[in-house]
Amino acid sequence: MNGTRHIERDDLALFAMQLLPKDEHALIAAHVALCAECGQALAEVQGDLAVYAHTVDLHSPPAQARERLMKQVAREKKAVPVERVPTPPPPLEFATPGERPYRTGLGSGAYLSEDEEPKRNLAAKVFPWVGWAVAAAIAVVAGNLYHERDVLHGKMTAMAGQMDRVSSDAAAAKQMMEAMTDPAAKHVTMTMSPTAPVPPVPQGRVTYVAERGALIFLGSNMEPLQAYKTYELWLIPADGRDPIPAGTFHPDERGNASVIMPPMPKGIEAKAFGVTVEDEGGSQTPTMPIIMAGS
Amino acid sequence: MYRDMGLVNTPPLSAQDDAALLALVKRGDEQAMATLFDRYSKVVYSVALRVLRDPTSAEDILQEVFMQVWRSPDGFVSSRGSLGGWLAVVARNRSIDALRRKKPMDQVEEMALAAPFNLANEAERNNMMERARGIIVKLPGEQRKTLEMAFFDGLTHSEIAEMTGEPLGTVKTRIRSALTTLRKAFQA
Repeated sequence: MNGTRHIERDDLALFAMQLLPKDEHALIAAHVALCAECGQALAEVQGDLAVYAHTVDLHSPPAQARERLMKQVAREKKAVPVERVPTPPPPLEFATPGERPYRTGLGSGAYLSEDEEPKRNLAAKVFPWVGWAVAAAIAVVAGNLYHERDVLHGKMTAMAGQMDRVSSDAAAAKQMMEAMTDPAAKHVTMTMSPTAPVPPVPQGRVTYVAERGALIFLGSNMEPLQAYKTYELWLIPADGRDPIPAGTFHPDERGNASVIMPPMPKGIEAKAFGVTVEDEGGSQTPTMPIIMAGS
Repeated sequence: MYRDMGLVNTPPLSAQDDAALLALVKRGDEQAMATLFDRYSKVVYSVALRVLRDPTSAEDILQEVFMQVWRSPDGFVSSRGSLGGWLAVVARNRSIDALRRKKPMDQVEEMALAAPFNLANEAERNNMMERARGIIVKLPGEQRKTLEMAFFDGLTHSEIAEMTGEPLGTVKTRIRSALTTLRKAFQA
C-alpha cells in the first residue's frame, strides 16, 4: 500500500464503503490519487457497489417528499450564470492507457480544487443558517420595536389627552381673566328687591363682555332651593329681544354660587341681568318673578 | 473490464439526458430538478430506508442528497459514470454517516464509478435491478450476508468478524468475492 505496491481489491472494497480506520483510509486515498491503476480498480468497485445498491427492495418516498424538496429548491433559487452556456457532456471515459481518469477518486478531492471545495461546502452549510439567523434577529428586533411603538403610542395618547385638558383649562382661565380685566366689561351688582326680607341680603355680581360673549356670575347669600328647583341667570338684551338663558346654578351650603363662562352668543349687548327660579334643568323663558335683577 | 462489454466509450442517450438535466439544474431550472427527483428518488429513498430503517430519517437523506445535487450539480460529471449509480452510493454513504452520527468521511460526490448501465432509462434500470437481484440471491449465503452487513449495515470488517466469528481475512475475501461475482455475472 505505497507508491510501488498497488492496493489489494479487498481493501479497495472496504475503502469504497468507508469502512476502514481513518489512518488507513487516508493512506489509500493518497495512493489512489496518484495511481491510475488503483484509481481504475476503485472506480470498478464503486460501480459494483452502485449495482449492488440497486438490489434493495424499492419503496416509494412519501408523497410530500417531492413537495418538500421543491419548496427547498425554490427557497434556494439560483442566480443563472449568464456567461456560461451549457455544453454537451464529455463521453464516458473509463481508463485509457496512459491516462489517469480515476486517480482523483473517492477521497482524493482532486476533481475540484482542494482549497476551494471545503470553503464552498462550508458556505453552502452556513449561508442558509445565516439567513435564518438574520431573519430571527430581524423578527426579534421588529417585535421589540412593535412593543415599544405600542407603549409610546399609549403614552402619547395619554399625554395628548392631558394636554387637551390643560389647554382647555388654560383657555377658560385666560378668557375669565380677560373678561374680568376688560375695561369694557360691565359690572352689575344685584340686590334683593325692596319687598324681600332683611339681611342677609342675597347678592349677585355679573361680569360680562358682549363682544366675546364672556360672562361670570358670582352670587352670595343665596337661599337654598327645593330639590327639583334651580336658579337661572338671564341676560336681557339691549335690543329688546327675549331674555337669553345664561346658565343655571345651585348655591352651596353657605349661599355662594357661580356661573362661569356659560355658552353665550357673542355681540349681544346687555340691558340687564336677572335671576329666576326654574324647574331643575332650566328653562328657555324666564318664569316670573325675577328674584334678582341688575343693569 | 466494462470496456470489454463495448459500452465504455458509447454514452447512452439517456445518460445525455441526465447530463442535460444537470446542465439545466446548474442554470437554476427547478423543473429539471423535479425530473431528476422523479427519476431517482425511489432508489435513493429505498437505499436510505434500508440502511436507516426509519422512514423519517430516510426522507431526510433523500432531501439532503437531492439538495446536494441542486446546490452543486458540478459535483457530478458524466465522465464519472452513471448519475443513478452515483446517487445510490451517495445515499448509502450519507445514510451510514447518519447511522454513525458523524460527518461525512469524504467528499463522496468526488467518487468515480465505472458503471456503464443506463440508469436514466427506467426499463434498463429495472432490468439491471432484476439481474443484480438474481445474481445476489445465487451468491453463497455467507458472502451475501457479509456484503449486506458491510454495505447496508455499515459494519466494518472487524465488527463483522467479531459478530460472525470469522477471521478478518475471510470477511474481506467474502466481500470482495461477492462484488467480483456480481461484476462477472454482468459481463457474462
